[in-house]
Amino acid sequence: MTAVSLRGVTKQYGTVHALDNISLDIASGELLALLGPSGCGKTTLLRSVAGLVHPDSGAIEIGGRDVSGVATRERPIGMVFQSYALFPNMTVRENIAFPLSVRRRPEAEIRRRVDDLLDLVRLVPQADRYPNEISGGQAQRCALGRALAPAPDVLLLDEPLSALDALVRGRLRDEIRRVQQLVKTTALYVTHDQSEAMAIADRVAVMNHGRIEQLAVPAELYEEPSTSFAATFVGSRNAVELAVVDGRIALAEAFSVPAPVGAAERAIAFFRPEDVTVAAGPGAKGQPATVELKVYLGATTKMHLAIPVEGGTARLYADLPSRDAASIDQGAEVRIVVDPAHIRAFPVPD
Amino acid sequence: MALTALPRTLPRSRPSLGRVLLFGGLFGYFLLPMVAVVLYSFATRWTANILPDGYTLDWWISAVTDSAVREAFGTTLILATLTALLDIVLVVPAAYWSRVRNRRIRTFIEVSAAIPFALPYIVIAFGLLQFAGIVTPGIQGTFPLLLLGHTAIAFPFMYWAVDGAMSAAGIERLSEAAEACGASPYQIIRRVVLPNIVPGIVSGALLSFATSFGEFAMVQTLARGVYTIPIWSAGEIRSYSGDAGAFNRLAAVTVVSFLVLFVLSGIVVYRNRGQIVRLLPSVANSEGRPTA
Amino acid sequence: MPPRTPLRVRARQMASRWAPAAPLMLLVSYCLIAPIIVLVLQAFWVNGAPSLELWGRVLGQASNQDAIVTSLGLGIASATVTLVIGSPAAWLISRMFASQRAFWMGLLNVAANFGGIGLAFSYLATLGVVGMVTLMIQALGIHFDPPRSSSVAALLMAYEYTNIPLFVLLTIPAMSILREDWWEAAQVASATRLQFWRRIGLPVLAPFLAAGWLLIFTWTIGIYGIAYGLAGQSGGTAARLITLQIGTTLQSDVITGTGQAAVLSVVLLAIAVVSLLSYRRLLRRAMRWL
Repeated sequence: MTAVSLRGVTKQYGTVHALDNISLDIASGELLALLGPSGCGKTTLLRSVAGLVHPDSGAIEIGGRDVSGVATRERPIGMVFQSYALFPNMTVRENIAFPLSVRRRPEAEIRRRVDDLLDLVRLVPQADRYPNEISGGQAQRCALGRALAPAPDVLLLDEPLSALDALVRGRLRDEIRRVQQLVKTTALYVTHDQSEAMAIADRVAVMNHGRIEQLAVPAELYEEPSTSFAATFVGSRNAVELAVVDGRIALAEAFSVPAPVGAAERAIAFFRPEDVTVAAGPGAKGQPATVELKVYLGATTKMHLAIPVEGGTARLYADLPSRDAASIDQGAEVRIVVDPAHIRAFPVPD
Repeated sequence: MALTALPRTLPRSRPSLGRVLLFGGLFGYFLLPMVAVVLYSFATRWTANILPDGYTLDWWISAVTDSAVREAFGTTLILATLTALLDIVLVVPAAYWSRVRNRRIRTFIEVSAAIPFALPYIVIAFGLLQFAGIVTPGIQGTFPLLLLGHTAIAFPFMYWAVDGAMSAAGIERLSEAAEACGASPYQIIRRVVLPNIVPGIVSGALLSFATSFGEFAMVQTLARGVYTIPIWSAGEIRSYSGDAGAFNRLAAVTVVSFLVLFVLSGIVVYRNRGQIVRLLPSVANSEGRPTA
Repeated sequence: MPPRTPLRVRARQMASRWAPAAPLMLLVSYCLIAPIIVLVLQAFWVNGAPSLELWGRVLGQASNQDAIVTSLGLGIASATVTLVIGSPAAWLISRMFASQRAFWMGLLNVAANFGGIGLAFSYLATLGVVGMVTLMIQALGIHFDPPRSSSVAALLMAYEYTNIPLFVLLTIPAMSILREDWWEAAQVASATRLQFWRRIGLPVLAPFLAAGWLLIFTWTIGIYGIAYGLAGQSGGTAARLITLQIGTTLQSDVITGTGQAAVLSVVLLAIAVVSLLSYRRLLRRAMRWL
């Protein structure tokens, strides 16, 4: 069942298309992440659903009801802000109770509901503290509790983790996911962090220039990016631009794959560092390369490789298990091979 | 994302009737006295009419050629300029030292800056007159005592402006960095500290100047023989008996002193580029910070 | 045991800690601190012994009682009018576009600086017997007598000319504390604009506004120049104010008048101290949540 439905939503600021004819369906109970660089329109999209931004055209339905002319305060939504936006003059408990008390629910019901929510977001010990007396992670959990208080049809999260430090971020991300699955709410989650999006979302919509480039489950997005932007933005990839020769593209002896459809002269090949095989020693096969820099990262070691090609040097990364990399020194001459099955190639627009 | 910085909904609903009335009213309220004074300075006669009966430059000419006015104006300018200069010389080193060397200076300054902030000038003037009479009877009732008084009541403006500039420039870090680069104390002050706080010094000087320029209670109390523009004006108002011209000449003088203040405020505001100008301490240090 | 630091070294350390600030500290002690002490001594000391004799004499005079009541009343009235007009103005100006805000900040700055005798004269030129507005209204055929220039009503109108701008300039920085996303979060939580102001906006701003009120109250009581200028033309019928009483005793008879001026000065000093302490408390309270 569709919980939120967007049809041809468009928003322009001056000459900038913040949202360019966006259509999107979010299934009930689904967590959909909007992923993209800053300025891609993901926040504008979220704020349009909230009614804080008014699209120039298009329709937004929540729970089957067109909300285009509906004020924010009358939409069945909950929202978690990047900066928490907790009311400073209210305690954690009062913040969570706020949406219920402005709706004039009976005191007893409010108390019961808030107690449940405090428990849900694990803030019972902090219930009577003020926002400036709790940590960032606690503040964001409080914001989550407040957003969920009126049992909204859709929960909107605007980069909820970006103001937190790395350690708290991972934990809180899993926390949000746990709570969302527990209360089975539909959620729209904006982030610019691809690993966060992959970790938390049922589906990810990659946005760029106000358009959705790809909408897919995380694994598909990772393995099979459908556009060159999605390939660059998701996962760290090597990108090599190559000339099309006889319908194929090749990086010397490292790989050779058929050119993508539509590529007349040049194409760009993407492959992940872990798919680059590096071998040293006399028996090794493949393209000769030089190890310019070796970076030890614990379980893996990242190698910066330089490959002489006509007209210059191509540079790419390879990730090796550190045990295998131990025998290869910085400066060594090695040979590399890339498995063609893991290469995604896209035409270079002229 | 980047676009969320655009103005949003809270303040900018349609311009309501209330808002038009409020700002229209304030505009009229602030402007009317200025217009009235300007018109009076050019009016030949102004009887029961909406506008003056005719216009003339006579009052301006008589004001400009009046030796008492010219002398008062000169005295006022000298007093205000010396006040601003003295405040620079006294406050800048103290503020700098309070930041880099001795925080207790700061406590002293902040407590004493509250005095002219809260205590009426007439009270300070009266107390100073008494005190000077006891310890330094030689300067009681003289221009130097008045100058010291003005420097003292204007010093908080200089301090807040300079200290704000030092804080904005991160002057402690800069001094340390300069010292780490091997600069001598003189070089640090000359090439690192001063260039970075010039805006604060200028704002502080303008505010000190303005404070002295329009001040009346201290001049009247501390230095009987010193005639500034406010003293002259007060005398004219007191002795006004309906004779034509006196009122208009006073208007011309008021326009000039008003213009001086106008230009000073204009510079201060322009230098801050429409930013919110903080003339006063108080809530100034309580800027909105993100919660938690 | 560490060797004792020689006196000379300690003196040098002392000098290097305080020397650059010494001239300012001397000036401040001479012009601001010592005078306060002298005033307090004069008010409580008669013929070399502590005494409240002066207080009884000064406060027993009807004119001084009148002055104190009028000053306090004027302070309360003026600060309240300022609060009512200035608060919405400060809020709206703080949310204006930069260019529009610059215009208002400029205008307010000019008005805030335009006090004293100049303002007193401007008031006379506007609403005095031959003031522009007076003449305009009369030219329309309406019978109009402007309030006496030294009446409380006239003082109030003249004071507001600097009080409103001062209040706005003072409170605008506090306005930036109200964050846009609080309003958005309130909307998402289904609050109306009124509910937002009642439950979040005003509670957060209230201590700042109260602090502003208090400063305006204190400053209004201390105003001298404007009142002196406006009192000028009405001689004995002028409203009695504490500052004017001080000024009058100073002008008229320095020898016998100092007792009265000292007592009234200490009254103003007490008001200043109390309001300054309350002001600090209010601001601390305001910052409690931030």
